[in-house]
Amino acid sequence: MSKDENEDEMVGYRQQPGKLPFAKPGSGGKDRFSRPTDQEMIPESQGGELAQPWGSHRHDNLVSGQVIGKATALVDGRWKVTGQAQYGDDIRLPGELIGRIIRSPHHYARVLSVDFSKALEVPGVVAIATGADAENKFGVLPVTKDEHAMAVEKVRHVGDLVACVAAEDEATAREAERLIEVEYEILDSIHDMRDGLQDSDLPIHDRGKYHIGEANVQKRVFQEFGDVDGIEENAIASHKENWLFAGVNHAATEPHAVVANWDPAGRLTLYTPQQVPHYVHRALADVLEIPMHQINVHRTFVGGGFGGKSDPFPHEMCSAILARKSGRPVRITFDREEVYWINRGRHPSRIEMNLHADSQGRICGIETDALIDGGGFASFGHVTTYYNGVLHTAPYEIGAFHYTGARVWTNKPASGAMRGHGAVNSRCAVETGLDDLAEKLSVDPIDLRLANLLPPHSATITGFRVTSIGMRECLERVKKESGWDEKFRKMPLGKGIGIGCGFFISGSGLPIHWDPNKFPHATVHLKIDMDGGVTVHTGAAEIGQGSDTVVAQSVAEVLGLPLDLIRIRSKESDTSPVDLGSYSSRVTFMNANAAISAAMQIRDELLDATAEITGAKREKLVIGDRRIFAKNDPAVGVSYLEALHKAQEDRGALVASGAYRTPPMGRTHKGAAAGLAPAYSFSAYVAEVSVDVETGQTKVEKVWAAHDCGKALNPLAVKGQIIGSCHMGMGQVLSEEMKYGRSGHLMNPDLLDYKIPSVHEMPEVVPIIVESNDPEGPFGAKEAGEGPLLPILPAVCNAVYDAVGVRTAELPITPERLLRIIERKCKAEGVDDPIKLPSPRLEYSELQAVLSKRAEEHAKRDLERRLNDNRQPYHNGALFGLDPTTPPDEVDQKWAVNVIPSEEYLSDPRLAGSAWKHTERRHRGDS
Amino acid sequence: MVQHRLPMIPSAGEVSWVASINGVKKQLNIENNAILLDVLRDKAGSLGTKRGCDMGTCGCCSVLINGEPRLSCLTLAAEAEGYEITTVEGLADGHHLHPIQEMFAECGGSQCGFCTPGFLVVSSALLEENPSPSDEEIKTAIEGNLCRCTGYQQIVDSVRAASAILTSGESVEDSTSPKSDPHPGFSGE
Repeated sequence: MSKDENEDEMVGYRQQPGKLPFAKPGSGGKDRFSRPTDQEMIPESQGGELAQPWGSHRHDNLVSGQVIGKATALVDGRWKVTGQAQYGDDIRLPGELIGRIIRSPHHYARVLSVDFSKALEVPGVVAIATGADAENKFGVLPVTKDEHAMAVEKVRHVGDLVACVAAEDEATAREAERLIEVEYEILDSIHDMRDGLQDSDLPIHDRGKYHIGEANVQKRVFQEFGDVDGIEENAIASHKENWLFAGVNHAATEPHAVVANWDPAGRLTLYTPQQVPHYVHRALADVLEIPMHQINVHRTFVGGGFGGKSDPFPHEMCSAILARKSGRPVRITFDREEVYWINRGRHPSRIEMNLHADSQGRICGIETDALIDGGGFASFGHVTTYYNGVLHTAPYEIGAFHYTGARVWTNKPASGAMRGHGAVNSRCAVETGLDDLAEKLSVDPIDLRLANLLPPHSATITGFRVTSIGMRECLERVKKESGWDEKFRKMPLGKGIGIGCGFFISGSGLPIHWDPNKFPHATVHLKIDMDGGVTVHTGAAEIGQGSDTVVAQSVAEVLGLPLDLIRIRSKESDTSPVDLGSYSSRVTFMNANAAISAAMQIRDELLDATAEITGAKREKLVIGDRRIFAKNDPAVGVSYLEALHKAQEDRGALVASGAYRTPPMGRTHKGAAAGLAPAYSFSAYVAEVSVDVETGQTKVEKVWAAHDCGKALNPLAVKGQIIGSCHMGMGQVLSEEMKYGRSGHLMNPDLLDYKIPSVHEMPEVVPIIVESNDPEGPFGAKEAGEGPLLPILPAVCNAVYDAVGVRTAELPITPERLLRIIERKCKAEGVDDPIKLPSPRLEYSELQAVLSKRAEEHAKRDLERRLNDNRQPYHNGALFGLDPTTPPDEVDQKWAVNVIPSEEYLSDPRLAGSAWKHTERRHRGDS
Repeated sequence: MVQHRLPMIPSAGEVSWVASINGVKKQLNIENNAILLDVLRDKAGSLGTKRGCDMGTCGCCSVLINGEPRLSCLTLAAEAEGYEITTVEGLADGHHLHPIQEMFAECGGSQCGFCTPGFLVVSSALLEENPSPSDEEIKTAIEGNLCRCTGYQQIVDSVRAASAILTSGESVEDSTSPKSDPHPGFSGE
């Protein structure tokens, strides 16, 4: 390729016609000329201008300067702003019937009979189904399948499904609903989660020989790591609090909806707004007793998920059953009230949190006891029970960790996975506890944290492999930007500032459906035909978080193409490879890695073709905007289309498949896999609040939110996730609560009484992105969807303390609750008017200097560890004088790992720990 | 157990109903007690108007009736008879998006997108009346709309950006304009 004389073409490179007539239709990209490479986006390690303070990355050589790291509008945004995006209820098939679900009015009852003969006589009623039509159990976790499409024997909460009807229109379906006669035998229901720990005459579920006692305990966990026995001896300050967290609903704006249609060939297509279509696919096969290949799960646009659309749902089964019976498509759409009956929101929880600090200001013990209220079904609860413990073993180095957790069934709508799954409540308890501990030690709470952080590339006390850690930078940034030193414990009464941190998994290390065949977690297919456009087939569920965009960005970046050349096909299981779905913040990490690996194969073929055309050495070629050229002589090169057409000779469209599976990680004790992830995100927030001491009204004024997402592939989306997380967390800490009345009835199943923050309640959020360059993440990226929710709760709680000097141990902090606590404080202080309450103040102790010094040393240690590839292993425990290179339980007897409670513990267990008093039926020998 | 509920009437009487929907005059046969939201979604084909709560709490179903934002789930179709109704589908001029639509897509105002039609309709009415609103005025205009994804900040950013476009008089590109040169190298140079 010789240099062209045209000035314009000197700047970039002119598209060449290529082989006529193939090249004619569409050259690719809006601009006629290739843009010069954006050197500011090219990493230093590749000779560009992008600073890399966190070292180089294995994907650096794939960066073409196109889109990664640039604020990018969502690729499906145009559909959403024009009303063209089709959500569940927008799927209208010809000849559709409207389905309605008949729900239980009782908390707990045996279904004696369902008589629908009268309903069937109503003109327009086409089909009615009951539990007898589908008796197979399903559930999102294979170990705890406990749901039926409709009640088979019992109904387990108000709103539980009993039957369903399909009719020509909604009014007829409702009329039929009224005429269906169900005879119930009402059973004694339980509503207080503490009652679930006791033996019961008729447990809500029967787990057969695995049943724990005769109680309603669905899952129990006992874990001891580190020097648990030494806690008492070592501690000079301790914090203890009994927390009560209300249940929270996702309150996604789109109510659940589903359309099922069997085609004439006998295949089922299910249109559903799902976060995890693959598990629905599996569950449908189980329930309908047809092979998976006979089902096509079509994910529609999802109007908000947050975990609330991540279970296979009974109504999805109902629509398929009704469609099968009637021979016509069936659409079921929920009322807002039904969304609360299906729930799967955050577990109502009772958490006892004990934190201990030693004379060096080290966290020598965390003892947590979490009793969580699972409602009527298991859902994700098995995992949630673990997450309530193990997800607060970092980012701090700790001397001992003692966790007892139990999840019980009660006669409430089922709890499940919700943004920040299992980590939010206990994290709130830990972080407010640390604030209290700092108060007791008379040190700054940020410095206390900075002096106790795990270094990068270390192992937590539970054996999680943590790679990149940006926690220190998060803390330093929010401290500086919020003006912490001028405000903390220095503001007038009613004004406060507080800190909170977070730690979250970036993709669950084990797929839910663990498979011995080593299936990948994510697979991406690419197809490029002669038009040059890239079709990306992926099963990753776009739920508004921008997963389609991030996969498009990854492919565009590696191939040097503008985004409009990439089109994503992610909706149908027929055409998309299996992806496990949008949960556990796994999509960016796993799916983008799979996409990169697929794109690399295409890239290799393009480079080979270019080398063949130009005669240049393949290693010397680089990819720029729609152009492949020699790095040292940019004039030597070809356009993307030329290279593509060369590569397509004799074979046509290029196709590639890339996959991602997590590396082997973690340890081997029971439950070791829960909480394992290929990477972890970190975050630190400072919240500033004002509290009206006379009314108890709390207003969050401003939040500085630093989140370590590894690398912001799309900063616009990352900021959106951070601000959105603040919104959701603020709702939980200040106003959101599923309120149950004295009879156990849910009192606020609507958006009027279930109060999510409106625009006026939202504070100004300053999103701060910290990029710690994860070694295994795509271009260094980690998650940003769930982790950012965690710190806002404790940050607000701690700020409320800074403002009025009282701590709450019950969320949400409604004005009534806070006012009660303030009144109590007034009484204790002998103050007649709350405005005379003293503001909390803090004089540093001698320990403060010790902590500052240690934080400084650790900052150096961390920097050294993150840049040095030949680093030694570092296991939690080194801060306590153990050898960092071996797991502590291997060197010190006292640090043994224990997952079964001792007799001694059982003689005086904590609340959730008392679940261990029961013996499983199979070990009792009486069943 | 016997359940006591008021019997529902499977079908109310049908009436003929006329309104202009997105500039097109429509005559529809509707039930005389029909809710405007149902008519728009089920009869008039405006599936862009979303149903979020059915009780006026979320704002997803907002439409403009004679230019005024209204909750279509709380409006009887009969109340809107003969009026001009604008839904999200009526904001764009062909493939030239309204600046508010363009900016919601560009500035992160739309994540999952379900509440977006409501926000768009309400804020387009605001900008019609007040092309350069303050942040407080924007917040007041959208206070009846709930969004669970964005935390509203990028929505306010989007409205502000749209206001800047509107006041500068720029127009938004036709989304069907060619995204690439159909004949590279053959431009007649």
